[in-house]
Amino acid sequence: METTILVAKPKSQWLVRLLNFWRVFTKNSIGIVGLAMLVVIILMAIFAPAIAPYDSSSSAEFQVGDIYNPPSAAHWFGTDDAGQDVFSNFVFGARVSLIVGFFAAFISIIIGGVLGLVAGFFGGRWENLLMRFTDIMLVIPDLPLMVVIVALTKPSLMNIIFVIGILGWTTTARVVRSQTLAVKSRKFVLRARAVGAGNGHIIAHHILPLVMPILVVQAVLVVSLAILNESTLSFLGLGDPTALSWGQMLNYAFGRGAMSIGAWWALLFPGLGIVWVVLGLTLLGQGLEQVLNPRLDTHHLMPSKPTVQSGRVELNPEKGALLEVQNLSIHYINEGKPAARAVEDISFTLSKGELIGLVGESGCGKTTLMLSLLRLLPSAGQIVNGRVFFNGKDLTAVGDEELNTIRWKEISIVFQGAMNALNPVRTVGEQIAEAIVKHMPAMPHEQLQARVTELLDLVGIAADHKEHYPHQYSGGMRQRAMIAMALACNPQVIIADEPTTALDVMIQAQILELLDSLRKKLGLAIIFVTHDLGVVAEICDKVLVMYGGVTAEYADVDTIYNEPRHPYTQELLKAFPDLTKPKKKLSSIPGYPPRLDALPAGCRFAPRCPLAFDRCRTEQPLLHKLGDMHFASCHLVEASK
Amino acid sequence: MNRTRTLLKKIAWAVFTILFVIVLNFFLFRVLPGDPARAGIRDPRLKKEAVEMLRVRFGLDKPVINCFESLNPIKVGSCAVNPLDTQFFIYIGNLFQGELGISYHTNRPVADILSERLWNTVLLIGAGQILSIIIGVIFGVFAAWKAHTSIDYSAVITSLMVWSLPTFWLAIILLFWGSSNGLPLAGKATPGSSSLPLLQQWADIFRHMLLPTLTYTIVYMGEYTLIMRSSLIDVLSEDYILTAKAKGLSTFQILKDHALKNAMLPLVTIIAINLGFTVAGAIQIEAVFSWPGLGGAIFEAVGRRDFPVLQGAFLLIAVTVIFANLIADLTYSYLDPRVQTE
Amino acid sequence: MNKENFLEVRGLKKYFDAGRLRLFSRETRFVHAVDGVSFNLRRSEVLALVGESGCGKSTLSLLLMGLENPTEGSISFEGRDITHLNDHERKGLRRKIQMVFQDPYESLNPTQTIEEIINEPLLVHGIAKDKKERDERVKKAMEDAGLKPAEVYLSRFPHELSGGQRQRVVIAAALVLEPEILLADEPVSMLDVSIRAEIINLLAELRITRQIAVIFITHDLGSVGFFADRVAVMYLGRIVEIGTMLEVLEKPEHPYTKALISVIPVPNPRLRHERIILQGETPSPIDVPSGCRFHPRCPVAIAICKDSDPPFIALSKTHQAACLLLVK
Repeated sequence: METTILVAKPKSQWLVRLLNFWRVFTKNSIGIVGLAMLVVIILMAIFAPAIAPYDSSSSAEFQVGDIYNPPSAAHWFGTDDAGQDVFSNFVFGARVSLIVGFFAAFISIIIGGVLGLVAGFFGGRWENLLMRFTDIMLVIPDLPLMVVIVALTKPSLMNIIFVIGILGWTTTARVVRSQTLAVKSRKFVLRARAVGAGNGHIIAHHILPLVMPILVVQAVLVVSLAILNESTLSFLGLGDPTALSWGQMLNYAFGRGAMSIGAWWALLFPGLGIVWVVLGLTLLGQGLEQVLNPRLDTHHLMPSKPTVQSGRVELNPEKGALLEVQNLSIHYINEGKPAARAVEDISFTLSKGELIGLVGESGCGKTTLMLSLLRLLPSAGQIVNGRVFFNGKDLTAVGDEELNTIRWKEISIVFQGAMNALNPVRTVGEQIAEAIVKHMPAMPHEQLQARVTELLDLVGIAADHKEHYPHQYSGGMRQRAMIAMALACNPQVIIADEPTTALDVMIQAQILELLDSLRKKLGLAIIFVTHDLGVVAEICDKVLVMYGGVTAEYADVDTIYNEPRHPYTQELLKAFPDLTKPKKKLSSIPGYPPRLDALPAGCRFAPRCPLAFDRCRTEQPLLHKLGDMHFASCHLVEASK
Repeated sequence: MNRTRTLLKKIAWAVFTILFVIVLNFFLFRVLPGDPARAGIRDPRLKKEAVEMLRVRFGLDKPVINCFESLNPIKVGSCAVNPLDTQFFIYIGNLFQGELGISYHTNRPVADILSERLWNTVLLIGAGQILSIIIGVIFGVFAAWKAHTSIDYSAVITSLMVWSLPTFWLAIILLFWGSSNGLPLAGKATPGSSSLPLLQQWADIFRHMLLPTLTYTIVYMGEYTLIMRSSLIDVLSEDYILTAKAKGLSTFQILKDHALKNAMLPLVTIIAINLGFTVAGAIQIEAVFSWPGLGGAIFEAVGRRDFPVLQGAFLLIAVTVIFANLIADLTYSYLDPRVQTE
Repeated sequence: MNKENFLEVRGLKKYFDAGRLRLFSRETRFVHAVDGVSFNLRRSEVLALVGESGCGKSTLSLLLMGLENPTEGSISFEGRDITHLNDHERKGLRRKIQMVFQDPYESLNPTQTIEEIINEPLLVHGIAKDKKERDERVKKAMEDAGLKPAEVYLSRFPHELSGGQRQRVVIAAALVLEPEILLADEPVSMLDVSIRAEIINLLAELRITRQIAVIFITHDLGSVGFFADRVAVMYLGRIVEIGTMLEVLEKPEHPYTKALISVIPVPNPRLRHERIILQGETPSPIDVPSGCRFHPRCPVAIAICKDSDPPFIALSKTHQAACLLLVK
């Protein structure tokens, strides 16, 4: 990316984009293989007269002895029912198949693209009618319809192209319409409208650039379908008798005794030609899809990386602590990239009934840290050092089976977006009951149902909502249900990951009050992960401020707010609006948090720190103990100690 | 309340689509140049009276639709007759009585020919669909679960390759293979087998079905594998899977209770949309294996220019697909709670 | 021209069709998204519109931008009625009123470069056809929005920028038309705390350097202090209290405003205080409660609140609230 900034601005943005695309595409092996397969066959079709050993049209010197000869030096692919050279026909047949495929697909793509775009973008009465028509055409089986139309009209090449073309647009129209609808509802289109852009401008500058990638992939698919359709029609005896395509070669061979004679060559090679082209197109389409519409393709059931301990002194758990995290470090390891040091050397303790706030901005590693406690990291994440002691047991070392008995039973999680954290096709009651069944399988059914009702009641949800699905709940209710689920097995620790972030202030206050009252009532220990300093001040006992994956400051709540020692904590408090001082101008922290795969050499906050000096830029500060319950990692703190 | 409304809407829509197909079907065969009057009765050896007789026999002497005489390419009949005594309304009327006309080739009623063949096609497509879906889902689940391993890559490459096979060609290749392995090559039953005990008859049909069903399964399982794979990967990367994992559920429990149903939902829609395309496969397979189904009927009718059979077969296939589509659609709204309550 | 009626909104309503209750029922239901909103905006003033989700603030912003047509009421700008305009007039007005959206990730087209994005408004309006003049305007807008030096950003794509930088790009794309009103719909709620102050300070600066009036739409009363001149609190499609920033924050009169202020977390554990937590959730804007629409959740509601809709009570020259308890 740097190079594009340094070089003089190129004349054509499109050329640059095309080159960029090509650079990425060449790295995609599937796509390249497909393209190569296609290029070979296209070259063969273009140079057919030069390649084919025999002229395809002349069977002048036709002799009975030439019929169905097996492959030989003179006839590589043998001869067919008319004594013609199969290889020559094969080479010329490529022309017919490709011409029909490309021209028919062209018609389909134009019709489908325009109809999809119009129906998706304008969406008025006529456009809905258009889409209804598309729906009908999509349901009507297309091959029988093609057969009927070609059978009723003249089976000329033009006709076949036309019929395949005008019946093959339906899927394209659907795909383009749904993509257009998706792009249309995006905020940047609304922004363009607000700027004053008309429909033409919006389609050209905003819709088309984002529909194009989908359309390109679809086009490749449509070409392959058209080639398949042509060969099928020809095989069924509906091909143009003057243009010998692969499908027609198969039709003649199959209809004229190749089977009974055992002339496999007359049946095998034309078919392989079709497979070659269609496979080439399919691979090309797959490759384009991967490049143009990349998806991550990773998921939560992929195996996690094993924990490693980099040979530090064996530490023993502190007496009396319920949960103790010692020197925990987590890296994200992606092939070909430097490891992202997401969490480094974090330690904290949590006692029974205590509420610790884990505070930091997005990307500071707080969610990674929280997930690692129950070894729920995504597959690229790895615990590279440190221990997590729960009641004296090291969770980084226990076996998977044992860990599954601790998950939820002892430590449960309230996730951020409850809408996504609840399964949309199962009722809320079922999902709560599931956790109980897993950990207390002996509980009788009635008792189980009573327990679910009791849990919902505890968080203020009426029992009749038990049978409802998550989408029938409001945002606040879903978060309550999530809390009820977390309480299901009477855990000792609850990890709450930004449980109020997406909620309105009043609902947020309701949830906070609920958590606080549950803590008092049930003696829960809570880890409260948040970016909101105000929320932390309201309910936490102690606070760990994270910045760029490390502990900036760790202290009891009063110290953090009234005697912060780390410049980041101090600056963050100044940037946070305080309603009790409405006239005060907010100060901001210049710059942006570091990227975890490109961390600065010294203190991670140094580039933004107003007090940074030379040492900060070269040496990472250690965590200094400033009091019984006060730690900060800053060179200035050390100097003042 | 809303659910009944959606249900009624869907059924009404299916009925409308069927009506559309009926009208389309009628006009295709009247408007396109190869209309039956010219193509079917164009034998130069026939005397004029004989042609006229045939016209009357097939109802071609009537106007197409009363007041669209220009649509009647052979300009027979006049506007003065009973407004319902036209080819179009007679066609509609006959349809409602289950009559689809008479075959040019065999002189038998088309409805009789097709009704015995419909079930053979349904049997073939049914068996093929069920097998390809089961195999596709299993492969897809393994590919998604073991994403980015060699299991996944081989499943994807295999799927792309079988997807690229022309159905009729695969059928021919399997026919070749079958002929050297003593499998029956054509038809649904060995001639004369109807005198055998029922169990042996079934075994005979089963042996005849092996190759066609195998072809069908291979051709369609690739697509289902790919769809299942990507659908399951999407589901498995959802937050609720992380919740399930945090609950301490085992991998098997997560797949069974949280992932499969969610991932199968898009598959139901795809299956519904695909039905129209899978008929294409049936035509090719039936053509190669001489399977006595609708596809085979189409293949034969094309060769003999037997238009009433072609017309009837197309209509029957279209209506069956629309009906199956409706069922898939209703199943989907029954399975997905989000649709029910919207 | 009177400074008071720079932008004037009178009795604005927007109802959306919510469909019929039953299949054969005749009665169509409506979402009362905006249900009678009136306010003035002065030149280079900052007005904060505060409310929870579902209070109608987003619909109100679309109405002000002319992206939705109001069901009733009027909007006038510089004394001219702009409620219903044809496409040409609307386009001309767009140069004067611009908008900044909530989500800077979503409001930029990922396929455009920063230069294309900021240049787009000029292109659309056919302003500055000369390339040099255009480049200069783009550069000035970028630097005013704090993207310095502009050259570094021109050929980059949105995904290469951080959230704060992206929001600056959105602001620059609005500034390039030299608008007189900027409608900012939750411009900082998606940003990190350390970045928020920067964007708010930037907007505060613009109203001084460019004399731009700002309508700042937010759910977070906490973020309006210092920056806003006046605050309007919305509940279920209506403004329930409006006044200067200090009047509303320090002497709130409407029970809803009081509750809203009490639940805003104070970043000091020594000031933990009693909060007025309203139970339940905002009712659906389809079935608006009778009388005072806040009465079902109001902690101090009395009998008449159920039946009569409270009028606006003037509490000072600038401060008004709609509550029956204030009627003397």
